Amino acid sequence: MDLTETAGEQEFRAEARAWLEANVPPEPLPSFDTEEGFRLHREWEAKLFEGRWSAVSWPIEYGGRGADYLHWLIFEEEYWRSGAPGRVSQNGIFLLGPTIIEVGTEAQKARYLPAMASSAEVWAQAWSEPDAGSDMASIRSRGTLSEDGTEWILNGQKIWASRAVWADWCFGIFRTDPDSVRHKGLTFILIPLDSPGVTVRPIAQLDGDTGFAEIFFDDVRVPVENTLGGVGQGWGVAMATAGFERGVSLRSPARFNVAVERLIKLWVDIGDPDDDTMRDAVTDLWMQAEGYRLHTYMTVTKLLEGGSVGSESSINKIFWSEMDLRAHELAMQLLGPDAERMDGPYESWVDGFLFSLSGPIYAGTNEIQRNIIADRVLNLPRA
Amino acid sequence: MQFSFTPDQREFAAGLREMLEREFTASHLRAVWDEHSGHDSALWLRLADMGVLGMMVPEADGGLGGDFIDTILLIEELGRAAAPGPVFETMTVGALALTGSRWAPGIADGSVAVTTALTGERYVPHAASSTVLLAAVGGEVRAIECADLGQATVDGIDRGRRLSAVGWAADRAVDIDVDIEFLVDAGALASAAYLLGLSSRMLAIAGDYARDRRQFGQPIGSFQAVKHLMADALLQVEFARPAISRAAWSHATDQLSRARDVSMAKSLASDAAQKAARSALQVHGAIGYTWECDLQLYMKKAWALIPAWGSASFHRRRVADAVLGPRLNG
Repeated sequence: MDLTETAGEQEFRAEARAWLEANVPPEPLPSFDTEEGFRLHREWEAKLFEGRWSAVSWPIEYGGRGADYLHWLIFEEEYWRSGAPGRVSQNGIFLLGPTIIEVGTEAQKARYLPAMASSAEVWAQAWSEPDAGSDMASIRSRGTLSEDGTEWILNGQKIWASRAVWADWCFGIFRTDPDSVRHKGLTFILIPLDSPGVTVRPIAQLDGDTGFAEIFFDDVRVPVENTLGGVGQGWGVAMATAGFERGVSLRSPARFNVAVERLIKLWVDIGDPDDDTMRDAVTDLWMQAEGYRLHTYMTVTKLLEGGSVGSESSINKIFWSEMDLRAHELAMQLLGPDAERMDGPYESWVDGFLFSLSGPIYAGTNEIQRNIIADRVLNLPRA
Repeated sequence: MQFSFTPDQREFAAGLREMLEREFTASHLRAVWDEHSGHDSALWLRLADMGVLGMMVPEADGGLGGDFIDTILLIEELGRAAAPGPVFETMTVGALALTGSRWAPGIADGSVAVTTALTGERYVPHAASSTVLLAAVGGEVRAIECADLGQATVDGIDRGRRLSAVGWAADRAVDIDVDIEFLVDAGALASAAYLLGLSSRMLAIAGDYARDRRQFGQPIGSFQAVKHLMADALLQVEFARPAISRAAWSHATDQLSRARDVSMAKSLASDAAQKAARSALQVHGAIGYTWECDLQLYMKKAWALIPAWGSASFHRRRVADAVLGPRLNG
């Protein structure tokens, strides 16, 4: 065990910091859940790509740096500390990208990864359906092979598709065996959102922006080459993707360490130094964020030494989402009357509070995660 | 940066776990309780033979010359078994304070058990079964042979941890030249690792019960209310673990952040143990509230150690001072 950074790690950190200092926009960009914000975030992603920082953990040939998880974590720490914009490309680069690298064909890697890394193509995810939320295996959207066997014909409806309003592509699973039930007979398919028959209907979220959408598929035709993994293997491919999402990649600890540092600064700036209750609460939160950081470093070392991450990713998901919510609830307490103002100097805290409320819901509700932990880590009997 | 234990460190801990599962079961622990000695001399000598007790004793004194990183997983295993006697105190605080003294070889060979009163204890644990007491006197550390102590035992909640009020004649105490805060951090860290092991054991006992016990025609572990109760407890245990490993590294390598890191570890471990005990009891229902149920052997050890080596509020305040700066009005 050695928790000091090697010379190589320090050098990598310094390189990332220098680039970010020179390139991060001085003013925060508008939310990427608005049209203007989406465009500006896509431009920022292109700049990141130019510096080869958009997908550091990917292989070099697809626009990455071939960085291991540890270097990726170091980059993430520098990224969030620099105040850089949120990642409008996250569904692609952090979720779909690693899955394509794992199960995609060489042709698929060459076709999708470079455009994903540069954000020439931004991806939306299309998992949930109106009757398939936490119970994702009950999806009903169908894929039928065309008569000549060259195309999927897609019909059905997806919902809560983040980024879908302005994204270029989406990915999701479809029932391709009409006689199948539950986890069988599903296929993972990649779909251009400008295909004839696709209708995207924005849904205003709690903050009023249209961050997610419904997607309707009416006889949408895509080539069978757009199948990721085998026909009928969609559930396994989706679980690999969702595992990445909940596990290490979606929410690196640095976001929360930076949020807690901001909270501490807020407490120093406007908090009452005699308020011991708040002092304790802020300290607890610091310990949680630090605990999450350490937990991630331990997980990453385990991966680098040849171990694997399984259902433990559900433990992470509950932890970061509830910690983030707690941080923002505390900030709202500290802000007092400013907590109800949406346009003032503390706007980012109020926006952040609303966003943090989605954490325990998306990527599989925390109740589902608790079931997974109970079943697969604690080995309790299935219901 | 490498945040993991070596294969040797992991194998040593696994070997200790196997030995304890075989040779120190709940019924052995219950026997210690029944005779109310708070000590098991056969187990103590077995731990000495394995090299566990002398892990942090220098090789010159017959130990293995390891550091806190080599030791922390062993203490977790001892906690999983609720090993009685001043075992983590002897292995860490004792070994660090008594290096080079006439007691050091005895720590390694199992003839010396070290107990402590370094954090204002009103009742000293294990004084009746130990060889030497390390006590804080006016901010300095003194060693006193337990044979020279006047002792009055009191009943404690954990019968694997016998308590006494003690007194001694000043001329029987030997000065020990060691930073008291360094020792208190060692004890707090070791107790955190021991609590982590206890927490895992309590959740394992509750898991066994939840798989076995049937109500409404099915195992109670299939009910979401039970699943979520246990998942939440596991969450706290799993996030305490890396904080304890990090604190072991900070202590072993004398980092500037040592006090903060140890206090974070003890706070998280104490909270996790409280939650694990409470959840495990609730999963058991009424049977958990009986003397007969083995869960109590582990819960009561946890309840004894949670306030030991600095209360939760002491450790939170130390973290707060490090992270937020000291309070202006003290």
